[in-house]
Amino acid sequence: MKAYFISYENLSNLFSVISNAYQLFVPVKINEKRYITPYQPGTGYTIGEVRTVEPLKAFFFPGRTIVALNYEDSLPDVKKKPYCIAGVKACDLYGCDILDRVFRSEDYTDPFYKQAREETLIISSDCTMAIDTCYCTVFGRNPYPESGYDLNLSPLAKGYLCETGSEKGKNIIEKNSSFFEESDDALLIERSKQREKVKASVEELVNRNTIPDSSEFNGIIERNYNAGIWQDEAKKCVECGACNTICPTCHCFLLYDQKKEETTARFRTWDSCLLKNFARVAGGSNPRASRWMRLRNRFEKKFDYFPAVFNEYACTGCGRCISACPAKIDIRTVLKRLVEHV
Amino acid sequence: MYKSSNPYRPVETEVIDVITETPAIKTFRLQPSEPFHFDAGQFIEFTVPGIGEAPFTPSSNPAEKDRIEITVMKVGRVTGFIHQLKKGDRVGLRGPFGTKYPIDTFKGKQVLIVGGGCGFAPLRSLIYEFFNRLSEFEKVVFRGGCKTPSDFLYRKEIESWKNKGDIDVRLTVDNGDDNWKENVGVVTTILDNSMNIDCPSAIAVVCGPPIMMKFSTKRLLELGFRESNLYLSMEKNMSCGIGKCGHCRVGTFYACKDGPVFSYDKLKNFHTIWE
Ligand code: SF4
Ligand code: SF4
Ligand code: FES
Repeated sequence: MKAYFISYENLSNLFSVISNAYQLFVPVKINEKRYITPYQPGTGYTIGEVRTVEPLKAFFFPGRTIVALNYEDSLPDVKKKPYCIAGVKACDLYGCDILDRVFRSEDYTDPFYKQAREETLIISSDCTMAIDTCYCTVFGRNPYPESGYDLNLSPLAKGYLCETGSEKGKNIIEKNSSFFEESDDALLIERSKQREKVKASVEELVNRNTIPDSSEFNGIIERNYNAGIWQDEAKKCVECGACNTICPTCHCFLLYDQKKEETTARFRTWDSCLLKNFARVAGGSNPRASRWMRLRNRFEKKFDYFPAVFNEYACTGCGRCISACPAKIDIRTVLKRLVEHV
Repeated sequence: MYKSSNPYRPVETEVIDVITETPAIKTFRLQPSEPFHFDAGQFIEFTVPGIGEAPFTPSSNPAEKDRIEITVMKVGRVTGFIHQLKKGDRVGLRGPFGTKYPIDTFKGKQVLIVGGGCGFAPLRSLIYEFFNRLSEFEKVVFRGGCKTPSDFLYRKEIESWKNKGDIDVRLTVDNGDDNWKENVGVVTTILDNSMNIDCPSAIAVVCGPPIMMKFSTKRLLELGFRESNLYLSMEKNMSCGIGKCGHCRVGTFYACKDGPVFSYDKLKNFHTIWE
């Protein structure tokens, strides 16, 4: 993968060009938080720093979307231009990797997800800082992208080091070569120093918050299946479902139909396994009737099902569920309790 | 396997007949507008346009190519709307989804079918399939149980199986009435010597309410059936049918695509399979 240099100014120029063919989204900082926002020429954006409030999944698996109209076989798609998302962080790329295993599995592919995934241009970026809830390094991963992007930007003192990760990314650089310069060793050294520094700050947070390493997660759900931890942790849960909807790896959805005059539309919306009737069957029996069973199920899915089936934990360490939970249920604390309880 | 490029799209289907089985159960005879073939054990998603979908395992003969029947108990919102459907109404079908009973591997063997309550519907389609090729099996035994005599589905038809003599049929009810001549007691009370089966080499197919499957499984294991020869249908909250929506997870499986038919050895280490 070849690396180039692009100045701050030329990145804005590149964004203007990209906007012709794509609907471009960039992270914009408001009150110390970053939000994925439609790009407006001339207004600011924050490529580096840390993850956005929203997960990337919304672009490939929207919160609410029409998946069928009447009995028509065609796939409804109202989007005019494909998406380009800039400033995507490593944890969100990993979240997509997890969702790919679900929606692009070999047996059944979800056509909507697949199309959005294939046509979207992803310009990721290194994290240049960490926030208290970050713990990606627990899973042996790094706060900078290593795969899954078309282009990656590493913010440096004078501009960005830009690396290609796909043919699509390479084409963008070739077509816009006037914005790019050759990079040199000094830039690469600057980048690896910065990457080390950011990684060290995530590790420091992990240490300070005493979060166990993922090497200790093997079997924690099974071992604690009937432990009191679940009841205890679920006590304050208000069943809002925020931990699910905000999570970049949660993929569960609900199908429902609506009729307007002669048209029947089938919608797909994000669903939440913390909600009471998630697993309830038509006859009324509910295998997860109590809230603590549903909290356990969320952990079982991420830390038992996914490693058993895909050999990966379905958690990116992004910390979004920690910030989102009104009951202050902290996944790091739960994991710690599960590891420590024997 | 799925034909449509959009797995969420239903195939337009006409209701061609409605049969009232019991006050709460009706059978709907359906004619899809496109080729639609299922195997016994697989399920479909039934759409009432504008209302929603619900999963059902067809109760008809899989060999019937252009018709399909589902037997529906009125238990909730969608099934309430299904019960209002009339001949000529347009509905939708998706699927079929999931695994079938591996009947080919039952060849030359003794097969026991155990049904409870609503489990009769999917089992009827399996029994039709057995009738289509009865000579291939050493013996087919049916044992069925319901709460009361009036809860029995397809009562007349089951009597006709008895008369054909090809299938050994015995029935039981939890609570009998004056006209009930057969056994009284839960279904496990007729899983006994009367079956005249070599349990360690025989196949068992069990379908019914979770509690009935739980106790039947326990009983059959005691009788010497092998875990891998004991097939169960997992009733979970199926929706998408293709392993995406997450609603039907059982342990490391999705009932919709890895099931709904599982042999017991695959399920036995999971929690909450009977709930
Ligand atoms: S479980 Fe929480 S920390 Fe893990 S990926 Fe989901 S939102 Fe992020
Ligand atoms: S975010 Fe917190 S309160 Fe809301 S459902 Fe999840 S655990 Fe419960
Ligand atoms: S029905 Fe959607 S995952 Fe099984």
